[in-house]
Amino acid sequence: MAIKLIHRMMSGGTPYYSLGILLLALSYLLSVATQDTSALNELFMIILGVSIISLLLLMILLARNLIRLYRDVKAHKEGSRLTIRLVSLFALLILVSTSIVYSFSIHFLHRGIDSWFDVKVEEALNNSLELSRSALNIRTRTLLRQTRMMSGLLSELPESDINHNIRELTQLSGAIEMSLWSIDGQLIATSIENPALIIPMSPDVTILNQLTANKDYIGLDPDDNDKLQLRAAVRLPSKDSLQVGRFLQVVFAVDEHLSSLGHTVQNAYTEYKELNYLRKPLISIFTLTLSLIVLLTLLASIWFAIWISRRIVQPLQELASATHAVASGNFNTQLAASGHDEIGFLVRSFNQMTQRLTQARNATQNSHRQLERQTDYLTTVLGSLSSGVITLDDNHILQTTNLTSSKILNIDLTPYLEKHLDLLNSASPQLSSFSRLLIQQNSGDKEWQQQIELQQKKGLQTLMCRGTPLPNNTGWVIVFDDVTTLLQAQRNAAWGEVAKRLAHEIKNPLTPIQLSAERLQHKYSPIVPPDQAHTLNKLTNTIVKQVEAMKEMVNDFSDYARNPGLQLQSISIGSFLREILTLYQSNPNHSITLSNNPDKIKVNIDSNRFRQVLHNLLKNSIEASEDAGLNVDIILGYHHLSLDKHHYLEITLLDHGPGIPTDMVNTLFEPYATNKVKGTGLGLAIVKKIIEEHHGQVWAENKEPNGACTIIRIPLEETTD
Amino acid sequence: MPASNTVKIFQQLVFWLLLISSAASAETFSIESAQVSPIGNGRVLNAKIEYPLTLRVREALSNGVPITFYQQFKLISSIPLLGKYWQWEESLWTTEIRYKLRYHALTEQYILVALDTRHHRSFSSLDAALNALGLIENLSLPPEHLNKPENLRLELRSGLDLNALPTPMRPGALISRKWQLTSPWAIAQWL
Repeated sequence: MAIKLIHRMMSGGTPYYSLGILLLALSYLLSVATQDTSALNELFMIILGVSIISLLLLMILLARNLIRLYRDVKAHKEGSRLTIRLVSLFALLILVSTSIVYSFSIHFLHRGIDSWFDVKVEEALNNSLELSRSALNIRTRTLLRQTRMMSGLLSELPESDINHNIRELTQLSGAIEMSLWSIDGQLIATSIENPALIIPMSPDVTILNQLTANKDYIGLDPDDNDKLQLRAAVRLPSKDSLQVGRFLQVVFAVDEHLSSLGHTVQNAYTEYKELNYLRKPLISIFTLTLSLIVLLTLLASIWFAIWISRRIVQPLQELASATHAVASGNFNTQLAASGHDEIGFLVRSFNQMTQRLTQARNATQNSHRQLERQTDYLTTVLGSLSSGVITLDDNHILQTTNLTSSKILNIDLTPYLEKHLDLLNSASPQLSSFSRLLIQQNSGDKEWQQQIELQQKKGLQTLMCRGTPLPNNTGWVIVFDDVTTLLQAQRNAAWGEVAKRLAHEIKNPLTPIQLSAERLQHKYSPIVPPDQAHTLNKLTNTIVKQVEAMKEMVNDFSDYARNPGLQLQSISIGSFLREILTLYQSNPNHSITLSNNPDKIKVNIDSNRFRQVLHNLLKNSIEASEDAGLNVDIILGYHHLSLDKHHYLEITLLDHGPGIPTDMVNTLFEPYATNKVKGTGLGLAIVKKIIEEHHGQVWAENKEPNGACTIIRIPLEETTD
Repeated sequence: MPASNTVKIFQQLVFWLLLISSAASAETFSIESAQVSPIGNGRVLNAKIEYPLTLRVREALSNGVPITFYQQFKLISSIPLLGKYWQWEESLWTTEIRYKLRYHALTEQYILVALDTRHHRSFSSLDAALNALGLIENLSLPPEHLNKPENLRLELRSGLDLNALPTPMRPGALISRKWQLTSPWAIAQWL
């Protein structure tokens, strides 16, 4: 409950104001209560207690606040340093000013109270008291004498007349009261002038003792109204020692003027003495009150300083954390606007700034997105082009490439973006002529176009390159196409035409030549002399053989030139290859193996034409190995291949022969590209032709350390499982 | 934690206060004798109270500071519920008589004023004044409460009224053992 209260008191502004008002009221009450005449004097102790309790409470609250502040500083909380600086500044100001006022107040308090007292005044008062006493003493002595006379008179009188005589004596002497007492305090007779009183003033123990010791008593008494009266008690002379002692007590009024003077002197004296006696407690109580008020003010001020510092620092703190947030990229930070002062202005400006920043960032993001879209668009367009496109800047740094360019150049160009062409050059030496061309041509400022041949793994590649300078001479865009296939097709078409012509022109005279030679041999060998018959036979045989060879060659040509429709049928490639291989099992020196493949791949091919392909390739490999005197070791394989979402069947034929001479790698599948003694040089050309009729590709690669690999790739219509 | 510290400090404070109050009880006023005796239909109290004033109080008195005494009387009806150990107590009647004692410098007399009646007596010595103050004679008890005298108990005590002191002296007197002279409650003898 108390903690809750403290919590509530420590939050918000109202409790602070109410506390301030409470403390002010308390200070006022405290200072008023110190005055002796105040109605609040009765409550002084309560007010003092409340003040001390408030002081303790305030101390606790302050301690809590300070501890919190200390923790904040230790935790490096934003704004805590500024708060502590402000608080220390405030506290210092308050301390200095309050202590100056306090010390001066204490000083003046001491001097003020001390100045009330003076030795001369004290002496004067003592003397006046003494004077009053002396003035009264004269009358006292007269009255004592008078009383003694009366007591002597009474002692002479008989016992029965005493009452009557006392009354008379009272009237005669002008006394207020006259009473006769026995020495043990028993009243014997009395006479009182004042009709309201019945019992006379009884003598106290001291008087009785004095009288017992045979000493008369005379003294001044203040009465109920603080007027002075004289009391005399005189022992009656006793006639015989056996009788109980008696005394007469007489009370006289003192002259009114004298009495009032005495009263004034007495009052002044008593007051002065009391004040003098109370000097030290008075100073302490004033000091205590002052200290309490100062302490209360001090603590409350420091507390208020903490509060006000927090209030001042809070928007700055929020601003600081918001700035942090903005610095870390969160531009959506908005602060609650506070007040119309400079801090409020700062907060509003900050909000405006973050709004602007957000707008600017959104705009940037939008344009960035637009740019990205455009780039994507361009990349897609470039990617879908069948031509390779690259851009270079003035320093021959590669800026953009498309997918096709990587494909054509047979190297992934992405890692070489933003890099100099030389790097590409060193990474792939076969591209050196390409980059050299670009560097050379780009030194000018006109469009150019040039054909270039590159030595690629797959063979010689012909590229058609076109360079166009970018606007403002910022670089070049180079578009290039792989025209190898185009050129090949042109060459093939030319060869086909030549073959057709040759077959047609040469085949016709061959049969008559052969028939004529056979007829020559048949007719003239019996009739020529036997020694010449041998020569004739030899010559005609040569003619027949050569014609036969020519026929074969012409047949090959016609095969090559022929372009019949394909008889496509779906066959399982595995069993097809196995069936072909059975024809080659007869020779024990040949090792021809088919690497098994679990996939059952069905492909649409013309089986007769395809059989010819494989025969040609196998024959080529076997002959190459045998010619080089190496073992025939051929591995045939096939597998399914997925490339750019297209499915292919790849058949590989790997031999361990001498390999392909490097100068022939590119022209291997062209007609008359042969290094063999016999053969038409059309075998591999036919292979290529048939494969291309199947929309496939065929190429050969050399394998390390020796051997060659021929690869056939045929598109699959559909995948089979 | 601050809460437990506060509790500790409070406990220590209470301890010291108890210590002070117990030490002060050595020199207090005391009830010498007190008797309730029957007079006619009613009953009266006769008592003697000793007022051994400390030097500090005497000093204040001689310097003109008036000292206020009080005498408290309490008539209690106690009904035993469980023998002596547990009793139902009811305060039937309480009264307080207050006296102001001061020194009259001019006459060198001590003046004792009963504050209720304004009755006024003067004494030539302090001891005589205290003697007179301590002597309670024939204080009549209220007859309406005297029906069952066997269950009745009269308790009395006397002390200084520190709140009647001048303001500057009050805080000092309240914490000083030299001013803590209140007698313990004493039970009057029932005759």
